[in-house]
Amino acid sequence: MFHAFDNAEPNRPMDRQAWMALLARAPQGLLEAALAAHAHADVRWLRRPETGLMMVQGRAGGTGERFNLGEVTVTRCALRLAAGDAPVGVAYVVGRNQRQARLAAVADALLQEPAHQAALELNLLEPIRVHLHNEAAQRHARAQTTKVEFFTVARESGSATEEEDDA
Amino acid sequence: MKATDLQHIVGGFEHEAFGSQAAFRAAMNALSYPGRWAPMPMQAERPRQGHGAAAVLLLALLDADCTLWLSPTLAASDAAPWLRFHTGCQLVTEASEAQFVWVAAGDAMPALASLACGSDNQPDHSTTCILDVRATDGESDAWVLSGPGIQGTARLAVDGLPPDFATQWAHNHAAFPRGVDVFLSTPTHVAGLPRTTRIGATAPQPHTEEA
Repeated sequence: MFHAFDNAEPNRPMDRQAWMALLARAPQGLLEAALAAHAHADVRWLRRPETGLMMVQGRAGGTGERFNLGEVTVTRCALRLAAGDAPVGVAYVVGRNQRQARLAAVADALLQEPAHQAALELNLLEPIRVHLHNEAAQRHARAQTTKVEFFTVARESGSATEEEDDA
Repeated sequence: MKATDLQHIVGGFEHEAFGSQAAFRAAMNALSYPGRWAPMPMQAERPRQGHGAAAVLLLALLDADCTLWLSPTLAASDAAPWLRFHTGCQLVTEASEAQFVWVAAGDAMPALASLACGSDNQPDHSTTCILDVRATDGESDAWVLSGPGIQGTARLAVDGLPPDFATQWAHNHAAFPRGVDVFLSTPTHVAGLPRTTRIGATAPQPHTEEA
């Protein structure tokens, strides 16, 4: 799961949609390491981590009719790091890892404060991009070993009928 | 809901199961003993607008299948995204389409007759109204309540309802088994007015229980 928008674009501030997409796929280890002290800070829950099912929809070929592909287990939470009108961090992650959801929400809340953005971009988002990139490359390499080059002999169509016509 | 709405909302129940059960118990007591003020356990953070007891009651009662109408003051306040976020309820713009109606103090109450009152087959498909009021200890203008759940009569004095509320209520009561149920809410307490309760200005004969 590596998308075109995962590449950091120079001279453009990160928008929330992009970093939330990264955080949702970040492994717990990366989050723990990058958040360090914040990982164990007290939080004020708006919604405690809860696990449920979400319907995933797809389109055949990306353009066909929308259909329900299946349900996926999702854990979500919403929190504030401080009282009052502090930014609300929200996270939706695939699976049942509540700790991962919590850390992703903490990271989302921190990223909304400009003071933390530069450091987190360097210590958290970039490693996540590298991780996702490596994962995608590995999967690609694995898939490449099963690739079969079909060699098709082009049939010289038309010549047979032409001969019949001549006869 | 927009991200900006989320910025101003506060948390819900500290413990969802215990908090909502305690609130439900208070609501049940209020409807079982009409006219008696039941203290609402405040085990939740509450929005800035609207009475706290009403907010906690709705937080306990609503779920994703419920439709809710909010009076203009509440609809424009942080109470709307708060309920939307924590309960997943659907906000509607017409009071007549809502299963729950919450009217803030000072806002006009929609006429009871205009709300969904269910059918004879399904009287449960009716609206539950939560009205923010002020409890008064006025003895002279107190209602005298009677009906199921009230031994003899009960007295209830509130301020902040439309002047013709008792008339509207008489019509609501007459439509039984159809009709709306009402919760009156102060900042800390709720009182129930189920559709079986009669409001009279004078005390009727004691022990007149309705079938």
